Amino acid sequence: MKTLNLEAKIGAILLVLLVLMALFAPLIAPGDPLAISGEAMLRPFASEAHWLGTDRLGRDVLAGLVHGTRTTLLVAFFSAAAALIVGSIVGTLSGFLGGLADIVLMRITEAFQTVPGFLLALATISVTGPSVPTLILAISLGNWTQAARVTRAEVLSLRERDFVAAARTLGMRPLEIAFREILPNAFGPTASLAAISVATAILIEAALSFLGFGDPNRVTWGSMIAEGRTVLRAAPYLSIVPGIALVVTVLSIHLIGRGLSHTERLQP
Amino acid sequence: MTETYLNVRNLNVSYGKTIAIRNVSLQLAKGDRLALIGMSGSGKSTLAMAIAGLLPKQAHIEGTIDFAGRRPKLGSDIGVLFQDASGSLDPVMKVGDQIAEVVMTHLGMSWISARVRAAELLDRVKIPKALSRLNSYPHEFSGGQKQRIALAAALAGNPSILIADEPTSALDTVIQKHIVDLLGELVKDGGLTLLFVTHDIALASQQADQIAVIYQGEVVEAGASGQLLREPRHPYTKALINTHISLDRPRSKRLPQIDMAGLQ
Amino acid sequence: MPPLASFFLKRLLTALPVLFIVLVGSFLLLEAASGDAVDAYIARSGTLDAQQIAQLRMEWGLDQGPLYRFEAYVTALAQGDLGWSTAFERPVTSVIAERLPVTLLLMSIATGLAFFLGSLLGIAAGARPGSVRDRLLSTGSLALYAVPGFWLGLVLIVVFAVDLRWLPIGGMESIASGKAGLARMADIAVHLVLPVCALAMVYLALYLRLMRDRMAEIWRDPFVKGLEARGLTRRRIVWRHVARNAVLPVITMLGWQSAAMLGGSVVVESVFSIPGFGRLAAEAVARRDTPLLLGVLLCSAITVIIANLLVDLAYGKLDPRVRIGR
Repeated sequence: MKTLNLEAKIGAILLVLLVLMALFAPLIAPGDPLAISGEAMLRPFASEAHWLGTDRLGRDVLAGLVHGTRTTLLVAFFSAAAALIVGSIVGTLSGFLGGLADIVLMRITEAFQTVPGFLLALATISVTGPSVPTLILAISLGNWTQAARVTRAEVLSLRERDFVAAARTLGMRPLEIAFREILPNAFGPTASLAAISVATAILIEAALSFLGFGDPNRVTWGSMIAEGRTVLRAAPYLSIVPGIALVVTVLSIHLIGRGLSHTERLQP
Repeated sequence: MTETYLNVRNLNVSYGKTIAIRNVSLQLAKGDRLALIGMSGSGKSTLAMAIAGLLPKQAHIEGTIDFAGRRPKLGSDIGVLFQDASGSLDPVMKVGDQIAEVVMTHLGMSWISARVRAAELLDRVKIPKALSRLNSYPHEFSGGQKQRIALAAALAGNPSILIADEPTSALDTVIQKHIVDLLGELVKDGGLTLLFVTHDIALASQQADQIAVIYQGEVVEAGASGQLLREPRHPYTKALINTHISLDRPRSKRLPQIDMAGLQ
Repeated sequence: MPPLASFFLKRLLTALPVLFIVLVGSFLLLEAASGDAVDAYIARSGTLDAQQIAQLRMEWGLDQGPLYRFEAYVTALAQGDLGWSTAFERPVTSVIAERLPVTLLLMSIATGLAFFLGSLLGIAAGARPGSVRDRLLSTGSLALYAVPGFWLGLVLIVVFAVDLRWLPIGGMESIASGKAGLARMADIAVHLVLPVCALAMVYLALYLRLMRDRMAEIWRDPFVKGLEARGLTRRRIVWRHVARNAVLPVITMLGWQSAAMLGGSVVVESVFSIPGFGRLAAEAVARRDTPLLLGVLLCSAITVIIANLLVDLAYGKLDPRVRIGR
């Protein structure tokens, strides 16, 4: 186990807390977070039953925040994972096969890079309708290209190495070599993109639900911010509090990502 | 020996607990040519960089380096030429500007006169059509030319001492000779004092009046070059000369057969 | 062929297939939508009888197969026609032409600001990697990098428009102010301050980091030692050499960042009620206007391609090692 630097430790602690919050959401804030639980528009710290106050309709902000962690982390981790997997498969194929396949795959990658990821997610949601699986799909559609490029570059440099030549002489089939010998070795640099992918996914999910294209049956931080926006003058904290949760989450991911890449850079 | 120009006394350099240079003293007079020789890892480069004042911050330095009663200043008192020429030139700045900025910094000239001076310097290091090459970038020159340009930049602040750290070992033999001849000329005509680091004993014997042999961070033997090479006293010096003979004879025999005129 | 012409020709040859893939991909994606433009039309303008529906479907080519419609779309596209926006009841081209300049203005100011300030702060941090100043700026940029633009926009509104009342809460300019010329430009500028900040901050943080990291790498490059050996001042080495070398790879990032910024403009324009291209995308989705959405996707791809082209041109001018067209 590599030793983590201070930044990465802080990030990891924050992330563990967030994951725990997501896992134990029903225990921390029992009941439906979308249900009205008290007087509307209570200020934070004004009531013991509602620590962070209530929104325009009287829904508990803390409950929303805690349950929102679930949606955020669920969507972010799965879409980042999907993006990394798809990206590394495309990158491996492209780099390993070369020739026409490489050209075609790289043009497709470029096409996906050319359309803003957020617009692509928006268009996809408009077709599929908003739900957690479709959000995961929509977000990963615009998020896999970097992984494809990085993996391809890594595969190109690995392709001529000894162990690949050895696999060839052993009579392994090309695709077998690509996925059993090359991909696992090329995955390191690709995995360092994981932090950026997760952070991007969190931000896209938040922006989608802020615009009202999130899963309507779930609390999300983005929808809470949007909800608070309607009473921005009277109760700015309704928008500000879930935003802080977003910033803390994304920051914890960046801290871990940066800490890991530092550790990696120090490795010979 | 005339007046002492550069006086290094009891110089010690260490990195943490590792001692790199142990109690070295050297004197250079104006117009001297001193070669520091030794195997790689002997500390000869560290010594040269310590004198130049270019060691990394972690280095702990003791002792005095005295130049006409003060510490020598980089650029205006000491010029430095490194092994890797392209490594001492900014890849995205015109070579004329790189030389002119040194002139401006040390001689307080205006930009226009500094550029004129840069052209003169390029001419002096024998870059053909110097004036028109002022606006070229480092990558537009060959390796040997880059080393000449680096030399011009090192001399642009009119330093009286030139420290050359293996200035030719990255170049091929023919170009090596051109650079070495150029350095020799500059010392003879320009009154430059030369301190150069090399592992090439043949080069040292041709180009230096004096040789200091460095072994494990210490000067184990120093003296006039002819004397030192004829009658080495320290076993390390003897060993160095022996390896040189066994390894370098064939190459130095090959050298004169190459048609120099055709390559110029 | 002159180098510039061959450069453009080469770029066009790679851009066309990419655009075609974007076109096919978007078309296929939107084909999969349940319900077509006629359904959307009915949902909005009330009931039509069966005959009228059939009539509309035929007019819009919806009674034919997707391949026919694709062919028709590409044929029209070749003539610069992006189809008919069902939500705005106007040609898509005219809706986009009206909205795009606003977003391009917003994006170019935000890019300029983010790049300028981000690089400056990056130089401040990268001048001495590992110093206290570097650590403060690096950590600060990491925190700023985690802030979503739309939320930052709301916070800025709360502080500067609601509490302090220094700046307008939204919109592109004051409604019916009757301002013209310079006064109108000043009015627009005042309206753009907050949206530009909301859009630019994330990229400012990004450019700060990139600049700082590149400078930290360049300090380790041997040529810097060569510069020190010539007795140049540290100030000169930082600004004329290290920063100058570090900025080049940062510039190459600008092109692809335009895609991300275009995406970011969707939310920021919604927050500030700016009638731009980004908000148009959200409206197209909300109002189920498929031809408009297709046009938006295509135009954003073209914008990103052009942005990359401009960046590469600029890069060719700035990096002497790169010669365009060779």
